[in-house]
Amino acid sequence: MDTAADPGDSCALLASLVERLDVGIFAVDRSGTVALWNSFMAIHSGKSSTDMLGQNLFAMFPELPRPWLEKKLESVFVLGNNAFTLWDLRPYLFRFANNRPITGGLAEMRQNVTFLPLRLSGGEVSLVCGTLFDYTDTAIAQDKLHDAIAALHREKDAQAQLIAKLETAQNQLLQSEKMASIGQLAAGVAHEINNPVGFVNSNLQTLKKYCQQMLQLITVYQGAETHIADVELRREISALTQAMDVDFVQEDLPELIKESEDGLVRIKKIVADLKDFSHVDQTDWQYADLNAGLDATLNVVWNEVKYKATVAKNYGVLPPVECLAAQLNQVFMNLIINAVQALDESKGMGTITLSTGHQDDWVWVEVQDNGLGMSEETRKRLFEPFFTTKPVGKGTGLGMSVSYNIVQKHHGRIEVDSVPGEGTRFRVWVPVKQALTVD
Amino acid sequence: MTIEFISEEQREALQEVANIGMGQAGASIAKVLGEFVELSVPQISAVGAAGIPAALAALAGDGIASAVRQAFIGELRGEAIVIFAEHSADDLAALLAYGDALDGPASRELLLDISNVLVGACLGGIAELLRTTIGFSAPSLLADQVASSQLLRADGISARCALLVEVRFGIEKRVFRCHLVMLMPDDAVAALRRALDRFVEEL
Repeated sequence: MDTAADPGDSCALLASLVERLDVGIFAVDRSGTVALWNSFMAIHSGKSSTDMLGQNLFAMFPELPRPWLEKKLESVFVLGNNAFTLWDLRPYLFRFANNRPITGGLAEMRQNVTFLPLRLSGGEVSLVCGTLFDYTDTAIAQDKLHDAIAALHREKDAQAQLIAKLETAQNQLLQSEKMASIGQLAAGVAHEINNPVGFVNSNLQTLKKYCQQMLQLITVYQGAETHIADVELRREISALTQAMDVDFVQEDLPELIKESEDGLVRIKKIVADLKDFSHVDQTDWQYADLNAGLDATLNVVWNEVKYKATVAKNYGVLPPVECLAAQLNQVFMNLIINAVQALDESKGMGTITLSTGHQDDWVWVEVQDNGLGMSEETRKRLFEPFFTTKPVGKGTGLGMSVSYNIVQKHHGRIEVDSVPGEGTRFRVWVPVKQALTVD
Repeated sequence: MTIEFISEEQREALQEVANIGMGQAGASIAKVLGEFVELSVPQISAVGAAGIPAALAALAGDGIASAVRQAFIGELRGEAIVIFAEHSADDLAALLAYGDALDGPASRELLLDISNVLVGACLGGIAELLRTTIGFSAPSLLADQVASSQLLRADGISARCALLVEVRFGIEKRVFRCHLVMLMPDDAVAALRRALDRFVEEL
C-alpha cells in the first residue's frame, strides 16, 4: 500500500469503484430499506440512487417475489453466509430490459445474483448486499447450443431411420432383381427348349403316321403268310416273329408314341407356364387373367407342393385385371410356398385351397392352408423385412415384405386370417382397373 | 480402504467440533426455516476416490435421489454434497416461501436454496469454532432425480481420497430428509489438522 494516502481518499476511491463497477450493486437493511444503489442498478432500473436510498425495496419494485426474497435475505442476516440466485433456474430477479434492443434474443436480462452479508459494526449482519451479474449473453449462447444439440439429435434420428429404410429398399431391390433374373433365365430356357420340342413334336407326328402305316402293312403281310409255299421261309418268319415278340411290339408301339406325345404336351405346358410366370416380355401394365396366372404359378412350384399337399381349386369367373402379371405371380408363388411350409408334416398330406373371386371393382385371390397357423407375434411382424420363422438359410424373410410392396404397387391389400393349429388364409385384393395415377 | 488422515486425537477434536457446530447450525437453521431441525451425530470417515460414489449411494439408500454440490474455500477447502431423497425437499417449499405450484426449475432452485442454508450453517459453524474463515461458491445441481447409484461418477473424481463428515437432517412430522456430506481432498487435510491442533491447544 504505497499510496496509503489519507483514509478519506481511499473511501472516495471505493465509493467511486462501487458506483462504476459494471455489476449491479445494492444493499438493504433488515427492514428492506435500500442503503446502496449503484449506477448499474440505476441505469437498468430507471430509478436513480436518489429515488431509491431510504426507500423500501419492495415498495419500489412491487413485481419482486417478495415473500421468497425476504426469506432469502433473512437467511443471509441469520446465517451470515452468501445466498444465490442463478439465471438458469430463476431467469432474473429484477425485470431489466436486455441490452439487445436491435439484435434481439431474450426479452429480459438474465441475472445471477449473489447476496453478501455485510457486518459494518461488530458481529451482527447489518446489511445484505446484492451483486447482480448480467448473464444474458451466456443464456443466449446456451439456448443456441441447446437448439443446436436438439437439431443434431433430430438429424441423427432422421438419418438412422433413413439408413434403415435404405437398407430395406436395397434388400427388396436385390430380392426383386433376383426374381427378375430367375424369370429371365426361365424364359430363356423355355425359349431354347421350345425349338427342339417343336421339331421333336413334328417328327413324332410323322413317325406316328409311318408307324401306323407300317403296322397296317405288317398286318396285311401276316394275313398273307399262309399263302407262302416255301416252308423254310415260313419257318424263318415264324422264328423271327417269336424272337422279336412282334405281337407285343404291335401293341406297344402306339402306346409308346402316345406316351411320348403326352410327354411333349407336358413339356410344352411347362414351357408355356414358365414363360407365363416370368412374363419378361411384359413389364408394362397389362390386362391379365389371374386364374391363368395362379395356375401357371402352381405349375412352376408344383414340385414343392405335390408330395406335401393336395390342392383344391375354387376359382370364380374373373374379369381381366390390369396388373403387372409377373409380379402378381410372384406374390402367388410366395403365398403358395409359405402355405406348403406352414403345413404340419406330422399330420400327413395337407390341403391347400386356391380360390378366386370378384366383387364390385375388385378381384381377390386366396391361398388357404390347414397348417400350423401363426402366433400373434408372427402376425404382427409378418410383413416386416427380414422377419422369418423359417430355420436359418431357409427363408430370407423378404418374401412377404416384397409381396406386400407388390400389392401396394397395385393399390391393393393383403388380408390375413390365421388360427394357431388350424391354418392360415391369405387373401390378396387388387382393383380390376388401376386409377390414373402417376407413380 | 482406510487412510490415516488424522490422528486419533485430531479425530476426537473434529468429532467434538462437528458436534458443537451442528448444534449451533441446528439453531440457526430453525431460525431461517421456522421449524426445529433434527440433526444426527456427525460421522467421520476416510474413503478412497473410487469409494466416494458408493458411500453417497449408501447414504441415499435405494431409489431416486438428487444431489447438490457446493464448494467451500479458505484455509479449509473442499466440497459439500447434499443428497435429497426423491421429492422430499418439495416438502420445504412453503418454509422457504415458494409458491404452491412448484415447476421443474423452481423445485431445482429449492434444492439449491436448502443446500445453501444447510451447508452455510453447518460448515460456517465448524469454521467459526476452528477460528478460520471459509467462503462458499454458488451451489450447483450435481444430479437431478437419478438412481442413487448414479449420483456421482467415480471417473469424474479428481481427488485421490477424501475425508468425509456426514450429517443427517430431518424435520419432525415431515417427509423431508437429506444428508450433508463434507468432503475434503487429501491435500487439504493438512490445513484441517493444523486448525484442529490449534483448537485442542486453546481448550
